[in-house]
Amino acid sequence: MSPEPTSFLGETWQLVVAVRRAMGVTLRNLFRRPVTVQYPTVKRVYPDRFRGILALVYEKDTGEEACIGCRLCELICPPQVIKVEMLKAEKRNYAKTFTLELYSCEFCELCVQVCPTDAIIMLKTFDLATSDRREMLLDKDRLHALGLAHEPSWATGNRLRDMQAPPKAARAEGKGEAKAESKAEAKEPAE
Amino acid sequence: MPPILYHAIAAFVVLNVVIGLVTYVTLLERKFAARMQSRIGPYYVGWPHGWLQPIADALKLMMKEDIVPNQADRWVYNLAPLVFLVPCMLIFATIPFAPGLGVADLNIGVLFFLAVSSLEIVGLFMGGWGSHNKYALLSAMRAVNQIIAYDLPFVFVALIPVVLAGSLQMSAIVAAQSGLFGWYVFYPVLGQLAFVAFLVATLAAENRVPFDILEAESELVAGFRVEYSGMKFALIQLAEYAHMIGTSFLGALLFLGGWLGPGPEWLGPLWFLLKAMFVFLVVTWVRWSFVRIRVDQILAISWKLLLPISLVLLLATAFVVAYRSAGVA
Amino acid sequence: MADTVAQHVVEIGYGGNERLVMNMGPQHPSAHGVFRAILTLEGETVVAVDAVIGYLHRCHEKLAETLTYVQYPSIASKTDYVSAMTAELTYVSAVEKVGKIDVPRRAQYLRVLAAELQRVASHCLWLGTWCMDMGGALGGGATVFLYAIRERELILDLFEALTGARLLYGFHQVGGVRYDLPAGWTEQCRQTLNLIEQRLREYEAMLEDNPFFLVRTQGVGVISRELALDVGVCGPLIRGSGIDYDVRRAEPYSSYGEFTFKVPVETAGDCYARYRVRMVEFRESIAIARQALDGLPEGPISSRPGVKSVGQVRVPKGEGYARVEGARGELGCYLVADGGAKPYRLKWRGASFCNLAVLPHIIPGHKIADVVAIMGSVDPVFGEVDR
Repeated sequence: MSPEPTSFLGETWQLVVAVRRAMGVTLRNLFRRPVTVQYPTVKRVYPDRFRGILALVYEKDTGEEACIGCRLCELICPPQVIKVEMLKAEKRNYAKTFTLELYSCEFCELCVQVCPTDAIIMLKTFDLATSDRREMLLDKDRLHALGLAHEPSWATGNRLRDMQAPPKAARAEGKGEAKAESKAEAKEPAE
Repeated sequence: MPPILYHAIAAFVVLNVVIGLVTYVTLLERKFAARMQSRIGPYYVGWPHGWLQPIADALKLMMKEDIVPNQADRWVYNLAPLVFLVPCMLIFATIPFAPGLGVADLNIGVLFFLAVSSLEIVGLFMGGWGSHNKYALLSAMRAVNQIIAYDLPFVFVALIPVVLAGSLQMSAIVAAQSGLFGWYVFYPVLGQLAFVAFLVATLAAENRVPFDILEAESELVAGFRVEYSGMKFALIQLAEYAHMIGTSFLGALLFLGGWLGPGPEWLGPLWFLLKAMFVFLVVTWVRWSFVRIRVDQILAISWKLLLPISLVLLLATAFVVAYRSAGVA
Repeated sequence: MADTVAQHVVEIGYGGNERLVMNMGPQHPSAHGVFRAILTLEGETVVAVDAVIGYLHRCHEKLAETLTYVQYPSIASKTDYVSAMTAELTYVSAVEKVGKIDVPRRAQYLRVLAAELQRVASHCLWLGTWCMDMGGALGGGATVFLYAIRERELILDLFEALTGARLLYGFHQVGGVRYDLPAGWTEQCRQTLNLIEQRLREYEAMLEDNPFFLVRTQGVGVISRELALDVGVCGPLIRGSGIDYDVRRAEPYSSYGEFTFKVPVETAGDCYARYRVRMVEFRESIAIARQALDGLPEGPISSRPGVKSVGQVRVPKGEGYARVEGARGELGCYLVADGGAKPYRLKWRGASFCNLAVLPHIIPGHKIADVVAIMGSVDPVFGEVDR
């Protein structure tokens, strides 16, 4: 910071210099490209881990619903927006009803983290503007439809838990290969 | 045709042109400011680039409800936008857009301009007082202080080209600037300093940042205009921008040579417009670069900095002119 | 404290002094949130200030009693929402202190990295909103605001690549952090830090020697050293008044002891001094972030397995207080645990809550225009004032 000028001319000269500097910065910015992204014609690139709308998915190999109705997501949800009823069947359980109140959802990703079968995931989209709030009360069919319609985010329950789990000696011995495999799968594409 | 009919038609044409110019100048300012801030500005209305945005704004203001505060002084409140608007429109009466093309090229043109443009302060204070609102009143009081303080240097600086040209008539001042580098802004030392002082005085007389303590959106939320809505607000906006453009035209005329420029004669008004827009854009550029300063600091700058400088410049100009004419004669 | 209703009181005193009581109400372009200041004016000079807060009270402390230690960190960011990472860090530090849970070194470095990047982002917002308050939403202030937000968006892009969200991260969890760095992130981070350092020079060019800025900020809102110690302000306010105190230096948490950084101190105590302190903090935060990136150790990012059930973390009986140097000052969390999965009682010590207490002492005597300059340099965030 320059010392306080005491003379009238000195003050005036300091004013002129400062004015020129500040106006130079704005002039330089006049010729830079604007940073505006013209949504919705142009969308910016969302990162892999983007937390968008929630959806339910089907299992990759069998094509069945991945959700087993264990209600872990319902228990962990902080604003308690998920309601699940379990349907017991012979080989595995299903979710009879699954409602998610998207208008109160915090998008904290805790339900995704907890899910043992990677059934509930988040998508890379957040377009949820509607004119009727009831459209944001998602039931199971809607959740499955969303899961099919949009690109899923990288984060699923198993991947997140694998990222966080400290390597224990027992795990490293017993499931060494499984762990290496899941680590390889967990390596996401470079951005 | 009888002269009164000629003047009436000219006035009508000039008013319409000015109003159209004012609306599109707001768009110009918004786009210019946006580009300086790394964004785009109005874009979708009248795609592309917001060509219909001013029309949309005008229509919106026309359709808004006219809310009058319960305890406002009705006559004062309702008349204030008009009293504010009329002087700002009247100043265009004396500006010649080309030699012989203007409403009334008075031989005291500059004096008329400066005198009438100071009348807007009455309308401003009426607006602040009649609104029965503490914020508006505060702002109006600050405005009276500031505009009175800055009209003096404004007048003195505007007198410099008058002294150099030897006439108050605007077309004579422009004619005296003919020739290559004859514009008064190129006059050694005096011209540049006078032009800079003119720009500073314009900023303050127009209540533009850094001297916009009167509106100070983040403190007083629109100042004396705060209780106006709908068409009255539109009239106030119109008046402000018209005054802005009027002083830009004056600056272009006094310092940048008015309608003089290369090319045929009929291009004159176009050069005039371009120069006025240049002055306007420089003022806008300053507006979007600085934080504002407090009202006592604004007054300090006027009385302690700008007024002495403008007086000294005027005195210097007088000496130079006297020396020149003594040397010639 | 004032009554909740401001009356239109106009007293005519001896010398014809008229006092005007004006409300700078919760809805105001420069109230920095929802803050109500009842100003008593004489002409244009402020004579007294009554501050009314509580417009953003959302019962966070009660909410924390109903949510478990696993659920709450994702909401903790709502207290100091501008500086969200430090708010979450405060909560999990308190839980880890009471529960004696240790955090692996990689997680500590990641926490430091996140906290310092968040400090840069928070100071960007501070600079932008302060200049906008002083310069007008249609004026030069808005220009600085848009530049600062443009830079803040770069940091939020980094956080979005790391966690998936731009404000309520949920990055911290008890025992470590929840997300590890994705591929290519360190490169993006270094580029962003270089760009921000370069743009800082532009802001300083616009503001530093500018007499308009200097007359607005020098000598305005002086907090003397004694007043700072009496009232108990924290953060840049105390460092701008000559007291060299930084929680990162006084009580190093999360391996801050391994980083070298300067703590800026200015003695003038006015708005300009606080501005200088924060501008130096910008650069120091960038330096710390670079050190964290360079020295990031390998290892697990959490000492507890990933969240699998809602009652996973149980903390034995005890109480403890953890504090963190947030962007605004000392942000603290006092936790009383009773052995279950939810806290028994949680108390947030908001930095801005204590900082706002200094306003009735420093504003009187200044003009109205200085009120916004002072408020901006105090930089309150009402999430942590009202909780």
